[in-house]
Amino acid sequence: MEAAEKRHNAQCSNRDYDFFYEGLVDRKILIQQCAACEKLRQPPEPMCPHCHSLEWKTKAMAGSGKIYSYVVHRHPPLPGFEMPHPVGLIELDEGVRVVAALDPIPIDQIKIGMPVTAEFFQRDNVAMVRFRRA
Amino acid sequence: MATLRDKAAIAGIGATEFSKRSGRSEMQLAAEATMAALADAGLEPSDIDGMSTYTMDNNSEIELARTVGAGDLTFFSRTNFGGHGACAPLFQAALAINSGVANVVVCYRGMNERSEYRFGAPIMPAIPDSQNALMAYHTNHGLATAGAWMAMAMQRYMYETGTTSEDFGHMAVASRRHASTNPKAFFYGKPITLDDYMNARMIVDPFRLLDFCQESDGSVAIIVTSAERAKSLKQKPVMIRAAAQGAPRGQMALTNYYRDDISPTDEVALVARQLYRMADLTPNDIQAAIIYDHFLPSVLPSLEAYGFCKRGEAKDFVKNGNVEIGGGLPVNTHGGQVGEAYIHGLNGVAEAVRQVRGTAVNQVKNVQNVVVTAGSGGPTSGLILGVA
Repeated sequence: MEAAEKRHNAQCSNRDYDFFYEGLVDRKILIQQCAACEKLRQPPEPMCPHCHSLEWKTKAMAGSGKIYSYVVHRHPPLPGFEMPHPVGLIELDEGVRVVAALDPIPIDQIKIGMPVTAEFFQRDNVAMVRFRRA
Repeated sequence: MATLRDKAAIAGIGATEFSKRSGRSEMQLAAEATMAALADAGLEPSDIDGMSTYTMDNNSEIELARTVGAGDLTFFSRTNFGGHGACAPLFQAALAINSGVANVVVCYRGMNERSEYRFGAPIMPAIPDSQNALMAYHTNHGLATAGAWMAMAMQRYMYETGTTSEDFGHMAVASRRHASTNPKAFFYGKPITLDDYMNARMIVDPFRLLDFCQESDGSVAIIVTSAERAKSLKQKPVMIRAAAQGAPRGQMALTNYYRDDISPTDEVALVARQLYRMADLTPNDIQAAIIYDHFLPSVLPSLEAYGFCKRGEAKDFVKNGNVEIGGGLPVNTHGGQVGEAYIHGLNGVAEAVRQVRGTAVNQVKNVQNVVVTAGSGGPTSGLILGVA
């Protein structure tokens, strides 16, 4: 897909990942689903590791989940992010995990197991998702 | 059944000093270490017919060979994933030697990973190839350093096992105790207390400053030959009793967030199983362990994966001097990569060689077998080195 055809402007994406960032433009968390055997797969891959089909579709997640793990990045400074920057590994209700920022949540309140909900926003003009307390 | 056990041996080791500013090129560092290793083995550059390293080394196999005046090369290889592959060059060398395609293989790492570039810097993937697009899938959210990637995995380990920051501190104190008596270590003469560890600032929660390996300039080279040849050379031969690589199904490099156990365990356990089987040994047969400490907290699940203690029990295993010289299983007797230097794991292999030879500064008594590991949390490798 040429750059002009992409509906997103996220950094460093290719044919296998474009769907995800386009999903964020549409304020959706899209996860790949095999068109043949229906299994969800995360992170994205061009082929189903179970049935080896190259056909896939996407499934929109509800955006609700729990914090499975997290970190708080303090050093070195990350260009484009305010320090300290909390990032979570969220286990969505659908059983799939996604990495996303947790900056709406006060750092000292972040806990594994906390119920969270997705928030779609723009970081430097790029459509992104992060999570806040549910 | 054919086995690699004891077919190859380490005949020589060499290294430059480890520093924060070598003042010379990475190629020169690698050449110096290689020449030192050859001298240690009593061999000449013209004896070299194999070269093996691992990625993120900027000295190509053929350029280093050309620089030292090696002979015709009939074996040369490079294993992926940086420090996760640190033991793989010796595995590859053993495979090549055992199959008769090479006789003298140089395994090396030479880097100015402090004065010229720094692995601690944020990772910013650019060209969207499959490797970079996968990294960006994570870094785009601000999870963008190797430390942060491992911290995510270890936070969950702490939650599941009840391991605390203070528990990691015991391993840090042990490592720095060993470094403090090692003249080659950056922290020679500088042990730490548990208070020092706990007072050190958070870098990426839950990792503190003293959880991180150093950034270092330096080179290590290791000469591998057949066991028979090594026995006829200068030094006491150090047998490659076992060697293995491991990437369990679905393995990723530092972003294993999508499997059942996100801690850096499964890949280490896969290597450990293979090593014990090849060597026909159990954890009880190991007298010392060099456990890769890119991030010191990950040493704990590695100890569990190697069967030195049960899952969740490493937090007690590392207390009361158990992993120090004089304890039940001395770990990282050179001070580790937090204490000695960070030559991407190869300085740990060199320490294991010294332990088997009986020439280590912090020598463990009655060494028969030493486990050496490469970086966990990614496709990994490991060795059991032992007395002939």
